[in-house]
Amino acid sequence: MKTTHGKLMMILVMAVLMGLSGGSALAEKPIVVGCPLSTAFLYGWDAERGVTLAIEEINAQGGVDIAGKKRPFKIEVIDTRDLEPGVPVSEALLAVEKLILDKKADFLIGGPVRSEAALAAMPLLSKYKKVSILTTGALTPKYHAMVAENYDKFKYCFRIHGEAKNLVGEIFANFGDLKAKYGFNNLFIIAQDVSHARGAAEIIKKVATDKGWNVTGLEIYPTGATDFSMGLLKAQKTNTEIINIWMDMPESAILLKQWYDMQIPALPFGSTLAAAEQPGFWDATDGKGEYTLCNVVNAGNAPSNATPWTMKFYDAYTKRWGVEPEGLGTSSSYMAVYALKEAIERAGSLKPDKVVTELEKTDIMGVYGRLRFDPKSHQVIPSTDPKEGAVGSILQWQKGKRVVVYPKSIAMGEIELPPWMGK
Amino acid sequence: MEILIYGTINSVALALYALGFALVYGICRLPNFAHGALYVLSGFIAWTMINTFGSNLLVAVVATLLVTGIIGAVIYRLFLIRVRGMEISEIIASYAIALAILEGLRWGGFKGMTYTLPVFIEGSVTIGGISVDYQRILVVVVGAALVAFLWLFTHYTRVGLALRGMAQDERAALMLGIDSDMMAVVAMGMGSMLAAFAAILLLPLGNIVVESGYNVLILAIAVCIVGGIGSWMGAVLAAFLIGFAQILTVVYLGSHYQMMVALLAIILTLILKPSGLFGQQKELEERV
Repeated sequence: MKTTHGKLMMILVMAVLMGLSGGSALAEKPIVVGCPLSTAFLYGWDAERGVTLAIEEINAQGGVDIAGKKRPFKIEVIDTRDLEPGVPVSEALLAVEKLILDKKADFLIGGPVRSEAALAAMPLLSKYKKVSILTTGALTPKYHAMVAENYDKFKYCFRIHGEAKNLVGEIFANFGDLKAKYGFNNLFIIAQDVSHARGAAEIIKKVATDKGWNVTGLEIYPTGATDFSMGLLKAQKTNTEIINIWMDMPESAILLKQWYDMQIPALPFGSTLAAAEQPGFWDATDGKGEYTLCNVVNAGNAPSNATPWTMKFYDAYTKRWGVEPEGLGTSSSYMAVYALKEAIERAGSLKPDKVVTELEKTDIMGVYGRLRFDPKSHQVIPSTDPKEGAVGSILQWQKGKRVVVYPKSIAMGEIELPPWMGK
Repeated sequence: MEILIYGTINSVALALYALGFALVYGICRLPNFAHGALYVLSGFIAWTMINTFGSNLLVAVVATLLVTGIIGAVIYRLFLIRVRGMEISEIIASYAIALAILEGLRWGGFKGMTYTLPVFIEGSVTIGGISVDYQRILVVVVGAALVAFLWLFTHYTRVGLALRGMAQDERAALMLGIDSDMMAVVAMGMGSMLAAFAAILLLPLGNIVVESGYNVLILAIAVCIVGGIGSWMGAVLAAFLIGFAQILTVVYLGSHYQMMVALLAIILTLILKPSGLFGQQKELEERV
């Protein structure tokens, strides 16, 4: 009898303690964050981890304050599979719809990851009036252009990571430096046969030609291609000095290994180059990926001191997942949750129109700089100065480490050339 | 020169993808749609041997060949034997096994682009002004040796002759005392070992990813259809045809048409000569 009484008392004490330590927030109905992500791929799983980490941190602090009531976030993930070759866009749309109708997502964060799928999901988001913050993968400028062109219809769509046009600007800033320093003038472009990469490659070609670069070739490889020798030999024959790469398929590792094995005297400069983004790339290529450059789109996806929050996030992520932030979509997915939290708290409601209005007023000094959305296009405002806007990150593999080389304001080193380039 | 060198490498790679598929179909008329999945699985087995158990490359290679061969034999003995002779069911069952293997690997955490196997020989050499790495040269040499070995095996060993007997006429082989089920198990085991062989040679050139299982299957089917399903010599010839066509396409038309070559080859073959270059299966109907 005494034992039963004691147990009852313990349960009561625990219940009181839980109530005092934020348990009340956990008792409230959670705010469901739906994440349509291609979870088998880097841009999917890193986004999921980023969102999860932010949610855990926010919930540990009591949750989201909505008009005096604290409510926790809850994550629901559905695999869109949109990064897998041959999977139709409709699969991603089904995932989005299932998150909205079946999982009762209040908001969407993450994908769809492939640009084609993200664009196709926009009418669905307006149909259900679901606020969505795109955080990974999709780089097409058409996304925010569509919001700007038809604001009333697509106002629920936001994007908190960089986009292709901005990436192009960052790349040309580096190309300009390389031209000034080493006299480079020959550029070869290799892209994957997907919407964002094809589009970006064409833009690069046009801009490069306008800027006086000699574009020695543009090769578009189908997703799943496993031999790049002919493209690389074309680059070599045309005295190419920079190979600009736009690929998120795993086979891009073959391209880089071939580049090394064939000792092609040109610098591999990836814009989107998923294989080279991951910390495990060095071991996976036995160091053959040294000198490869790639754009991880936002600071925080590679180590730097962009803001005081950058390394704090970097270390928290590494501690939580046992691996460093791996690439595009990590820091942006993490920050999207914080931006959403603040918008909901300001709105004091989950009503989509009110949250949209408050998201437009977002102004946070986040992991990758000052985060604000363009009120017309809902694209995060970029900058090369973290005090002014969202900064990107271009890294180079140097002696087994990912060294941020751009923008200068957060750079941890300078671009190095492979010895066989003879510069 | 580069067309000759990289065309040959590409062709041998295609032949390696397809040999196991062609062998299994040729002997027991089983379209093994789990072939690509076995290719990926063997890559991960080798990776686990090297990185988790710390074994050296040679031990990992031998163990991978054996384990994959046994897995293939078990797949036949446990599952495919029940649908033997029903081609649609064989396709559905083997494809289901492929999905189970590939999705199981993904579920088990084998995702991402950081899994790779070490090359056998580091470095590269310049041939006629074209730089080629030793691993690709090894692919060609070992690929050629493998074809020679298969020819010798099927012509001069008891098991090989039994397999050929099965391939030519299963009923007649039965009458001669050849255990057709046992030979089918052997064929499936050998076909799986060939998939593992291809994986061990080709995966060090890139990385091991689950999705490549589907690609390997498509390429293997394309090669076998063009060469004539069931004829492994036809498969070798077709691999050279498609391999060089792909390289020529990249050089003269554009790299993004590269994948279309294999699919176009299937369509053209099915229109012009459905039995393929060396296939005998439908020749009578074609003549009629």
